[in-house]
Amino acid sequence: MSTQAIIERYAPLFMPKTVAVVGASTKGTALPNVFIRRIREFGFEGAIYPIHPSATEIDGLPAYRTLADTPQPVDYAYIAVSAAQIPAMLSAAAGRVRYAQVISSGFGEVDSGKELQQQLAAAARAGGMRLLGPNCLGIYTPRGKVTFTEISPREVGTVGVVSQSGGLGTDIVRRGMSRGVKFSGLVTVGNCADLGANDMLEFYFADPQTRVIGLYIETAQDGRRLFEILRAGEARKPVVMLKGGRTQQGLAAAVSHTGSLAGDDRAWVALSRQTGCILVDTLDEFIDALLAFQTLAPRTQRPTRRVVLFGNGGGASVLATDYFARLGLDVTPFSQPVVDALAALELPPGTSITNPVDCPVGTLQQEDGRVAEKILDVIYARAEPEALVMHLNLAAFVGRSKPEVLDNLVQAALRVQAHYPGKAHFVLVLRSDDEPELVARRREFRAKAAALGIAVYDELSNAGHALAALQAHERFVQSRRGA
Amino acid sequence: MNIRDIITKARSENRTALDEFAGKQLLAAYGIRVPKSAVIDGVDEAAAAFAQLTPPLALKIMSPDILHKSDAGGVKVNLQSAAEAADAIRQMMNVPALRDARIDGFLLEEMAPAGQEVVIGAVRDPQFGPLVMVGLGGIFVEVLADVAFRICPITRLDAREMLAELKGAAILKGARGRKPASHDAIVDVLLKIGGEGGLLMRHTDDFREADINPLIVSESGAVAVDARFVLS
Repeated sequence: MSTQAIIERYAPLFMPKTVAVVGASTKGTALPNVFIRRIREFGFEGAIYPIHPSATEIDGLPAYRTLADTPQPVDYAYIAVSAAQIPAMLSAAAGRVRYAQVISSGFGEVDSGKELQQQLAAAARAGGMRLLGPNCLGIYTPRGKVTFTEISPREVGTVGVVSQSGGLGTDIVRRGMSRGVKFSGLVTVGNCADLGANDMLEFYFADPQTRVIGLYIETAQDGRRLFEILRAGEARKPVVMLKGGRTQQGLAAAVSHTGSLAGDDRAWVALSRQTGCILVDTLDEFIDALLAFQTLAPRTQRPTRRVVLFGNGGGASVLATDYFARLGLDVTPFSQPVVDALAALELPPGTSITNPVDCPVGTLQQEDGRVAEKILDVIYARAEPEALVMHLNLAAFVGRSKPEVLDNLVQAALRVQAHYPGKAHFVLVLRSDDEPELVARRREFRAKAAALGIAVYDELSNAGHALAALQAHERFVQSRRGA
Repeated sequence: MNIRDIITKARSENRTALDEFAGKQLLAAYGIRVPKSAVIDGVDEAAAAFAQLTPPLALKIMSPDILHKSDAGGVKVNLQSAAEAADAIRQMMNVPALRDARIDGFLLEEMAPAGQEVVIGAVRDPQFGPLVMVGLGGIFVEVLADVAFRICPITRLDAREMLAELKGAAILKGARGRKPASHDAIVDVLLKIGGEGGLLMRHTDDFREADINPLIVSESGAVAVDARFVLS
């Protein structure tokens, strides 16, 4: 299918004009009532049709008896009622529903529901619709102003995610949001009775709004097709994959979770090697990698290897040097000319002018933080790293230096970035403990940095994993397409 | 006999795997070098077989009941004459486990020149279909599990990266004074097995597992010295 055909096919799902909601009660307390409230708050501008066997009005909206009775055909139906009654409801839709997402559980994830799931899929076909779920939580599509999560960014971003788990989908939106990830969409696909991760992956590859793709996957419904889509994608867009059930124990949990067999780990490693998708192990790494790809433009002609660490915290930067080395990132000391050039700046004693560059707060607050510009200028011009990680331990600043010092440090870094465009990936690490004043400062500062298009990480190790993901992508593209 | 007939015959005989001779015919049909060989029924045919082959030869028992021929005493190597081959057969027939097994015959084959032992394998993954594997022979595969897998079909670049991924990759380059083993020869076999139009892509539904163990790789080429194809 052509790119354009794929985009058009999924437009009603990602930008629905009409949404039907099945399962909302007149009391207004059921999950579908919450969904109606959420999409209204989120700014959904199309028609909302509650479906109810007897009520004439729900949440102030006219209600309709069946999916076939709505004034306009339904682009997207959100269905959360008891499992047994859903197949009949779908098959009676008479071709008037484009996409139905079944939230309800009690299907293929339990033995007693396997047959019902087959009936559900058959009913969706008979009713002329495509089906998402069952056993999922919904879709978050900021371009369509529809969301299943309590909080989610309104802004339409570039990160497209598909999650086999609904709960984890919620985590991805919420945690991603707090770290500055902005989504082009997130679909929870649950048991994948009809549409699954492969279909969403195909859409995200075609969708011009999406530049980075994230997958949480427990079982490949059709591993061959997954392999073929990813291989044909040639890592044109970076794909980050969080695979559940890679160990025997995880596998057991996955089987009970989604109700199907998960593959052997070695096949997933092979998939990653052959298609360039980035396999990560934890939710944190997943979000960190998505953030890196959202923020930094991969440089496939000069894959990331040499990294300069710059900030306050000697021990932290020594540990990070070791950690980065294990990830295949090189924090090697500067050559003598670079050291000489830094020495010529006559920085205060206690400043380490080799890589890692360790600057006590006393140094960093010189000229209210503008000293960083001079240091970074030397590094960019002479050391030519592929990435620069600026790490600031907030505890050492707050209460000891003027509030604008942190701002000035970051502004200085941005000016140097602008002076050497495309030279080095720049990421910021804001280290902190849970002391409320620091947390507040970090939140405020992270938001500022995110607005400036900077990826911010909580710890050096997070930044290391993110840069390692970037490196893997850059190297793959270089090896396959000669960059 | 063509490949389809070989597989059909093995199935009709309710075999779980192709015998070694059939497995090698299959490999040869895909352009993979196998030792020149002859199948004999017993001692009486040893002399005739020897006349067509160049010693030293290896003798291997062919039996659907014997999974690990070497361990069972069903392999003799470095045979220089028909008399030695006949002796070897008599010795095997003195081993109770071999004597009591169903015997299809004895494979007499020329011995491959010395080289690095490599294992090429295949499994069918329930989700991804055929996977091809490579590792270095002996402890590298058996103890250290130093192997690389890819989903079929693989490209030439995939095959090269599989070799580079092995922890023992340096050994192929000729570490510790040994002669190097030809990367190209291994890549070539990997592609004939797991590449586009290769054995595994053409026989996706026929085999559950396969092993070429060992593939003996010299500086100039590779020979499949043993092969096992487990039917689906």
